[in-house]
Amino acid sequence: MITDDIFELVSYNIDREPHIRVNPGVCQECTHKACTFACPARCYQWNEGRARIDFAYEACLECGTCLIICDKGGLDWNYPRGGFGVRFRLT
Amino acid sequence: MKRYDAIVVGAGPAGASAALGMASKGLRVAMVERGETAGSKNMFGGMIPNCPAAEELLPGFWERAPWERHVVKRTLTILSEAAATSLVFESDNFDSPPYNGYTLFRPVFDRWYAQEAANAGATLLTNCLAEELLIENGSVRGVRIGRDAGEIHAPVTILCDGVLSTLARKLGLCKPLPALDTALGIKALFRLKEQEINDRFGLVRRQGASCEFLGCTEGIRGGGFIYTQTETLSVGLVTHLDSLKASGVAPYELLQRFLAREPVGKLLKGAQLVEYSGHVLPEGGYKLVPQLFARGLLLAGDAGGLCYTNGLNQEGMNLAITSGALAAETVCEAFERGDFSERQLSGYVGRLKDSFVLRDMSTFAKTAGLMHNDRLFSVYPNLVGAVMEELYRSDGLPKKSMGKVAWDSVRDAAPLRVFILDLLKGGGSVI
Repeated sequence: MITDDIFELVSYNIDREPHIRVNPGVCQECTHKACTFACPARCYQWNEGRARIDFAYEACLECGTCLIICDKGGLDWNYPRGGFGVRFRLT
Repeated sequence: MKRYDAIVVGAGPAGASAALGMASKGLRVAMVERGETAGSKNMFGGMIPNCPAAEELLPGFWERAPWERHVVKRTLTILSEAAATSLVFESDNFDSPPYNGYTLFRPVFDRWYAQEAANAGATLLTNCLAEELLIENGSVRGVRIGRDAGEIHAPVTILCDGVLSTLARKLGLCKPLPALDTALGIKALFRLKEQEINDRFGLVRRQGASCEFLGCTEGIRGGGFIYTQTETLSVGLVTHLDSLKASGVAPYELLQRFLAREPVGKLLKGAQLVEYSGHVLPEGGYKLVPQLFARGLLLAGDAGGLCYTNGLNQEGMNLAITSGALAAETVCEAFERGDFSERQLSGYVGRLKDSFVLRDMSTFAKTAGLMHNDRLFSVYPNLVGAVMEELYRSDGLPKKSMGKVAWDSVRDAAPLRVFILDLLKGGGSVI
């Protein structure tokens, strides 16, 4: 199985602050929570106990999927600061 | 604050072409790139189709560019549950320069190309995010950046900041990207010995292959691909975001199953996974191309939605390079005339319409709609598999005529009226 290994192969320069912020209030109302499965980097997870989305910005590929599929306006979406974030080596 | 003649946002193929075109005519150009090197944020399938504009910008372009293999072989494989039906095309005419297409690595190619623009005199600012366009009297006058005391100024800016083009959207030039017309591409890169790749794909020397797959996305609108590099294979999937969203399926799990199924599994046997990447791409085609100019501003490459598919070809990088070159030409003319008005800059669109860029996009404008037919990705691939299997099957029972096999299978797959309509619509949009 490669699914779990595949994410380990991406290289990053991780910033101190997240470049995308999730508005937790909006996500509670969301019925599809598509970010939790459609994000190709598995950055979004629904936290049942706290009834909110947990967002791991460190693994973000900056691909734009969440920005396009979130129809609730739940994201303050920005690129990381210059020099930070994902760095593809070959691909 | 620094002043330039022109600013280019994004040092991908569109940006580097624009910067190279302007710098080689003596303009003082700043290229703003948010990655630590040009290309470190970029991924694609991929293959770049032959692109004469590159050779015009930089003589000897393809002798110098770091590409991997020239593509002589194109396959389209239709996958059904148990079967694979392939159309293989290879041509000797694609086996001598100028080659018809090349595989390459974006972090390597983009870095080289941006450096060529820098060698021609452009200033390359890496690690530098363009945060906002500076507007003065309704005209773009520069860019706020994350370094060099915050601002750079120029009478004209060319946005080459990719499909998401956050700057064009902040300005209201482009609407938010609709999930219906945007796709997610994800890709796994595998290392395999050069000789193994040649043997498995039937290649010699630096020949390359591109393989496209239909029917491998479990009913989600999309497809799969394999591209051969020298010692690596790029294997991935492209899925429409609205369809992916509705499916509830994780793209990496879909990829996992694609990698494991035949004939993909045996092509990858023993190969080592080395990198994973993903990005969205514009799939709306011609109808989603925004206004490509404003006062003091031009849009090129993916930022301008200049990317299309006609079912067989997926083209973007060549449109990016050509649009970047034409944007540079437009700006150089604006400098000669000392005229940066909207009217002068609108000449860019005329140039694009005269070139293959907007001509091809217009020719295949209807294909984007064809790609929204769900049956193309599940019902029809299964139909092809069923027909072919029936035609080849030997089981001691009398065979049906070919016509009857096809007729019976179509009747099982979809109502005849739907099938005929799809056929007419599909044919009409491609032919």
